Amino acid sequence: MNSYHHLDSSTLIGYSAGSLPEAFRAVVSAHLSICAHCRTQLLDADRVGGQLMSQQEGVPLPAAARDSLLKRLAQSPVSSPAHREAPPRVHDPDRLPEPLWPYFGRSYSGLRWRTIGPGVHHIRSQVRDGNLMLLRIAPGRSVPMHSHGGNELTMILQGAYDDSLGHFAPGDVADLDCDIEHQPATSPGVPCVCVAATDLPLRFSGWLARALQPLFKM
Amino acid sequence: MMATHPLPAKVRPFEAKRRVTEPSGQTIEDARYWAQQMAAVAAGRDVDCFMRIYDHYGPRLLRYLLGLRVVPAQAEELVQEAMLRLWRGAGQFDPARASLSTWLFRIARNLYLDRVRAEPHWREVQDGLEWLDRCEADGEDNSTEAFADHVRLTNAIDRLPAVQARLVRMSYLESKSHSEIAQELGMPLGSVKSNLRRAFAKLQAGLRPAP
Ligand SMILES: [Zn+2]
Repeated sequence: MNSYHHLDSSTLIGYSAGSLPEAFRAVVSAHLSICAHCRTQLLDADRVGGQLMSQQEGVPLPAAARDSLLKRLAQSPVSSPAHREAPPRVHDPDRLPEPLWPYFGRSYSGLRWRTIGPGVHHIRSQVRDGNLMLLRIAPGRSVPMHSHGGNELTMILQGAYDDSLGHFAPGDVADLDCDIEHQPATSPGVPCVCVAATDLPLRFSGWLARALQPLFKM
Repeated sequence: MMATHPLPAKVRPFEAKRRVTEPSGQTIEDARYWAQQMAAVAAGRDVDCFMRIYDHYGPRLLRYLLGLRVVPAQAEELVQEAMLRLWRGAGQFDPARASLSTWLFRIARNLYLDRVRAEPHWREVQDGLEWLDRCEADGEDNSTEAFADHVRLTNAIDRLPAVQARLVRMSYLESKSHSEIAQELGMPLGSVKSNLRRAFAKLQAGLRPAP
């Protein structure tokens, strides 16, 4: 799958550092599972982490820890040097990206959508921090103009949408800054399904948006 | 490829005690030295080489985990677990792809997310370190280049402007989210992100200098 809209490098740093809220980590993992370009970027981010970790002056470990490590070493089995094969990536159009399975289940057909507005359905997931949800917007609709008080990260799973930033198709991520105001319009044909993480409620502008706001509660 | 760099007859003790803020003295020989220790662990289950790695990196891993506010007893246990994973998986280590510090960082970071933050879902993509490595088109990557990258990165970190260096360290060494950093420094969220973006571009330029 070719993605043209990738993760922002600041997001990759957060992922590499283990400092992203869990909702964002889920969306980043989903994108990484299909995007070799971003996996390469992540390796660079991990190199930075490794460098920072090893540049620090260490904190002495207790002397007893050394002996206990040596004991555990003797009992520790050695794994085979052969590279473990990644699970085969079977193409199944009903299958969600693997990193989303724990949050939403494995298949699109098993999803239980809730209506939150005309042509708009969603499913929220329980995460430790942030908001994580699936959104399904009917084809040929436009979402009210809104901006974000915080961060928003969206990955397109099915269908497509357009906004001032471009065309977003399956695999693409919209890694939005808080200052960007946008009004996505879904493409005709099939509903647009995406997974989105936010850390603050969206702020809609305009009277329609204000009317929809209580429905979205995102 | 390790065969072309035999272990030095006399292994010198490695005493690199530096603070992050000091100019770095890391040389290509240092990175190569650690790759050689790892090769000996992988090939011959060499306990002495393994303990040399432990004595050098163990205390650094401990400081890293304590910086993430892991309680000391648990941090010490995670250092042991990280080192046992290194012992068990040494055969998968490939110095041409990532330095030993990158490898250990990934192991420790994953253990932190898994055990401390209890985010079991993290395992789905992250636990297989080699799975993530599969992405790289590392055809032209030879080990000497990888070692040189390592040193260039150290220099690039040392040359970051103060604000950017601070944001990078708060992210990595204190595990603070962008929003937490923005709040703590009274800086708009957008500036936190754009500064991190600029820092990353500089660090990447350090990794891949213009040909
Ligand atoms: Zn990407």
